[in-house]
Amino acid sequence: MSLYNRISVFRAEQGISRRQLADAVGVNNQTIGYLERGDYKPSLELALKIARHFGVAVEMLFSFERFEPIAMTFKRAGEDE
Amino acid sequence: MNTRRRSFLAILDNAVRWTGMPARVADDMSDAPSVDRKHRPLRWVPIWAIAFSCALFILSLIWPRTLDVVSSGAVIAVMVGFMSSIAAMVPGIHTSGPLGKPSLEDDEREAALRKDSYLFSFGLLTVLNCLGQPCLMILSHLQNWQTLQIATIAGSTLMLNATLLGCLPTLYASWNLQQLPKE
Repeated sequence: MSLYNRISVFRAEQGISRRQLADAVGVNNQTIGYLERGDYKPSLELALKIARHFGVAVEMLFSFERFEPIAMTFKRAGEDE
Repeated sequence: MNTRRRSFLAILDNAVRWTGMPARVADDMSDAPSVDRKHRPLRWVPIWAIAFSCALFILSLIWPRTLDVVSSGAVIAVMVGFMSSIAAMVPGIHTSGPLGKPSLEDDEREAALRKDSYLFSFGLLTVLNCLGQPCLMILSHLQNWQTLQIATIAGSTLMLNATLLGCLPTLYASWNLQQLPKE
């Protein structure tokens, strides 16, 4: 089953490099590259660490379905509140 | 430890230092390495090494008389030296990541890649040996191999095994490592 993610979107939004994110979550920077490309599925621990680094829920970063635009996610989250 | 032995060890130490490897390993292992060394696909070195060992194995099976004339001992000694140096170098460079990086420092992706590589290699080696050894025993009986021929084939089989053990994990890992685009 494919696992989609939008790490690169959050990384670009926060203006941090792969190396900075890798250092923050304790992995090799190539691992972040393979994660972003979908070539590697992270462990639960790594997924939670990345989500915590960006300050979002893990579902906002990883999904079994293709992601909708991030603006739509925030809009829907705002409507729910 | 006597002076003679100490001086011999000192010469060996100096020889190793002269290669520049200790300084490079120390740099890699330091908190702030000067160069960012990455895993990089290394396909051709293991392919050449495996092809070379396979060729020698097949040659020893189908053309043993030529090896006799050349002196099988000399051929095997040269080949073992050459191939084992490549076989020893390849995993050092690749599956262990940057030179000198211990497996304990692998992150989860690197550890998974290392595990898969060795599982694949050990599995394949086991199957090849389980199938190949009875075949060699039957062949030796049918063709009435002499001692020298058996020694030659045993030597080339050993070298093929050593090469596969050293090179297959790297080849497998390299095959699974796609080049990442630059940031």
